[in-house]
Amino acid sequence: MVRSDVRAFPRPRRFIAMGLTVLVVFTALTARLWDLQLINGAHYRSLSEENRVLRLPVDAERGMITDRNGYVLARNLPGFAVMVLPVDLPRGKQDALVAQLGAVLGRDPAEITKIIDEQRIRNPYEPVKVSAKPVARDIALVLSERRELFPGVSVQAQSIRSYTDAALYSPVLGYVGPITEDELNDLKDQGYLNTALIGRTGLELTYERYLKGTLGWREIERDAAQREIKTLSFAPPVAGNSVVTTIDDRLQKLLDTELRKGVEEDRFTQAVGVALNPQNGEILAMVSIPGYDNNWFVQGITPAQMGQLNADDRHPLVNKAIGEIYPPGSTFKMITGLSALTAGTATRNTVVNVTSTVMTVSGFNFYDWRAHGRLDFLNGFAHSSDIYFYTLAGGSPMGPGVVGAGPVNIAKYGRMLGFGERTGIDLPGEARGIMPDPGWKLATFDEEWTIGNTYHEAIGQGYVAVTPLQLLNAYASVANGGTVYTPHLLKDVRDGQGNVVTKYSPPAPPRKLEMKAEDLRLIREAARRVVTIGHAYMPNLKLPIAGKTGTAEFGASTGKDSAGRNRLGFHNWFVSFVPQQDNTDPTAQIAMVIFTYDSSRSLCDSCINPAVTLTQKIYEAYLLGDKK
Amino acid sequence: MTVKALDIGRASSPLHDRPHLRRLDQVDPYLLIATLLLIGYGLVMTYSVTAESRTFTGDPMQFVVRGAIWAAIGVAAMVIVAMFDYAWLGTFAPLIYLLMLGLLVVVLAIGRESLGAQRAVNFGGLSFQFSEVAKVLAIVVLAKYFADRSDRIGSPLVIAGGLAMLGPAVALVYKQPDLGTSLVFIAIFFGIAFLAGARVWQLVGLVAVAGASFPLIWSLLKPYQQERLLAFLNPYSDPQGAGWNIIQSLIAVGSGQATGKGLTAGTQSPLGYLPIAESDFVFAGLAEDLGFVGAVILFALYIVLIFAALRIAYRARDPFGMLLGGGVAAMLLFQILVNVGMAVSLMPVTGIPLPFISHGGSSLVSICFALGVLQSVSMRREAPAIG
Repeated sequence: MVRSDVRAFPRPRRFIAMGLTVLVVFTALTARLWDLQLINGAHYRSLSEENRVLRLPVDAERGMITDRNGYVLARNLPGFAVMVLPVDLPRGKQDALVAQLGAVLGRDPAEITKIIDEQRIRNPYEPVKVSAKPVARDIALVLSERRELFPGVSVQAQSIRSYTDAALYSPVLGYVGPITEDELNDLKDQGYLNTALIGRTGLELTYERYLKGTLGWREIERDAAQREIKTLSFAPPVAGNSVVTTIDDRLQKLLDTELRKGVEEDRFTQAVGVALNPQNGEILAMVSIPGYDNNWFVQGITPAQMGQLNADDRHPLVNKAIGEIYPPGSTFKMITGLSALTAGTATRNTVVNVTSTVMTVSGFNFYDWRAHGRLDFLNGFAHSSDIYFYTLAGGSPMGPGVVGAGPVNIAKYGRMLGFGERTGIDLPGEARGIMPDPGWKLATFDEEWTIGNTYHEAIGQGYVAVTPLQLLNAYASVANGGTVYTPHLLKDVRDGQGNVVTKYSPPAPPRKLEMKAEDLRLIREAARRVVTIGHAYMPNLKLPIAGKTGTAEFGASTGKDSAGRNRLGFHNWFVSFVPQQDNTDPTAQIAMVIFTYDSSRSLCDSCINPAVTLTQKIYEAYLLGDKK
Repeated sequence: MTVKALDIGRASSPLHDRPHLRRLDQVDPYLLIATLLLIGYGLVMTYSVTAESRTFTGDPMQFVVRGAIWAAIGVAAMVIVAMFDYAWLGTFAPLIYLLMLGLLVVVLAIGRESLGAQRAVNFGGLSFQFSEVAKVLAIVVLAKYFADRSDRIGSPLVIAGGLAMLGPAVALVYKQPDLGTSLVFIAIFFGIAFLAGARVWQLVGLVAVAGASFPLIWSLLKPYQQERLLAFLNPYSDPQGAGWNIIQSLIAVGSGQATGKGLTAGTQSPLGYLPIAESDFVFAGLAEDLGFVGAVILFALYIVLIFAALRIAYRARDPFGMLLGGGVAAMLLFQILVNVGMAVSLMPVTGIPLPFISHGGSSLVSICFALGVLQSVSMRREAPAIG
């Protein structure tokens, strides 16, 4: 055909090249899509979700803390936090705004500037909290209603922990505080936010795991400018469980009222009162005076407040029921007596003839507070004769034929009763106390134990040192017939509907004292006699109270303490329990220790021991007064 | 033989052409069907991108209707252009050349600024991008130029002349500034020159010269263009700035996976992660909504379209018709390569619309016009059975 001549112009090879080019281009593009969409698609899909979806945590309410009857000790009150969104705050207006905020929030403007500047670098699209402590409603209203005056400022609800009776319960409850950077690193996985409040001390710390709620989550869709478009899903937060304590608020307040009055009237400068149920170790009341207002810590403690607490040499931040150790004085005679009885070196019929107030051994004088005459165990204990117990511990010229139990036995049975070791109460900061023996003295002071040490220890002086709770728990184990329970404050844990989730379970099972029941009965009988013969004078007593007095002398006894009160250096104890009937059966439902610090100039155990008077008053009011 | 007789039967001049119903048989069905399907695909994507927008509260159909009106205008233009013998275009090529330069000058003079570039001219509320029209006119002019010189095609002077002719247009477009479109002009030039039979070493030489003068070109680039090129080389060097578009586009494409998130169910473009989602980055939105499958279907339609254009070119009755087909094929291929390549980070970011899919009347009508010309070429090819 001629056509081939006419149509010589198309160049087939060029067309083939063009066609191949087309195929190469589309093959390359398809291969690239294969890689992006089919091989790495899942990765990019998750990137697009991360782009779009923001998971915002929703804070959960912390659980309440109540007394055993449901009286609320710690709750949450609605409050407000002030936030700044850096991207909405023009730099030019920042200084003026920060100055205003500083004035309104009572915070150094330099601090606020630092917070905002750091957030600008971290993520300017995320609001940052600039208020150090919760803000009152009226301030929150001003800030949120006058938006134009406060660019970038927003107000967010944030509940405040509130402690109903503040100082009354601060030694028990402790307080919560903002989580630190280090803690956050450790606890991030457990659902803590950087704004979280975490238990710092007290039950708030011990039972953090129950009180803390479970965070809720809000998933929002956001656009490229980080604006919220809509909520995709919402998982509501679950409030923390309530902690029900074993405390009886009525007894706590009775104790506190009486002890506080004593401090206010300058009859003593510090006081501790603890009551528990000897049959199970439940603590019914725990008062340590002076305490502190734990609401200060929640609201952001000021340097002035902190300075005030630190300047007080009575250590208001320490729960003295468990955190300080003191010589037990004559209350320790129970341990000396039980050691001698159990070791078999003494019986109820062991007689010491206290013919003088002074006993001389190895050239040293050891005193009693009076010449008692012939004493058996019951009367030696009831009259709190020092020489009687010197003799039981180390033997003496006044008790010929009586072999002392010796410091090793006393330490052995003392430890059995819980001295020198933490009781295991569910509070942080418990002291161990000191239960010395010759080995301890050698290790601590590199000195041999002397007979003088034994005598001093016999009457609770010298090296032995106890916490009020240890002493109480030892007496409680005698009062219940020989079982050492772990004293505790947790009764149970309940969910939002009031269902019990967990009950208290002790860290170790109750221990049985390896002592004879009749010896324990003898102690109960002797302790009752302390009251009945009037050594611990309780006029018109209506209850079968049994107990033991103690006076300890230590520390400065001149000058004034930081609160302006006289330093006396004398401290009184009364440890007691109340059997159900006036007999020696181990039926006591309540045992109590009262310790008053700087309380008496008297060297006389029986003269003015404020702890005895207080004990009678409190038992009668608690056990006989109307239980509202 | 019958050479003479055949010659008589053919119009000796474009002015003598008579549209004839017989020619409807020679309409290229592949080109036509691919064109119509692609127009439909474009409307669907317009709907999807508008409907999924969280910020746009009006009726999404509003944009679809506007797109459909442009499509109707485009199809009408295609039909009308196909009726006339394309030889007319050759006849008026000098005028068309002047028209092309005129349009580009008008854009520079009164163009509306869009994203820092003067690219559109307003006509009673409708904005029209003259450079889209100018690309098609450039195809006509270059095709005519090389067709008339097919006997001297080996001469470097011919190549130089073509370049000289194109130079002002490229410069004017680049001044808008629209680097992408000026590159399209150059692609058209290479496509037409290649099919016209230009010496390969001359074309390669031109590319080599361009490459060697890259430092000079670099210094002529605007700072934002330099940034884009650098971002293309390493998007993560500035993920919040110049690299943002590239990264977000990759995320959009990749997250579409095999079958996509579904029409109107994309998240990258409606939430603003993907900028200019209806034009420059429309492919990323398509790949996100319809996935690998949707993209491959689109590619298939493009391949049919381009091969149909090449086939028309190959079967054209004269070099002018052949080079028209080649120019259109080169333009389509280059725009697709650059636009899709940009979305998948195989190409640097330049603002070139994706044929049929990018929302925009000027681009659609211009392409329809060009395809109408190709149908005219197809209809006026040699009748195989005559004689």
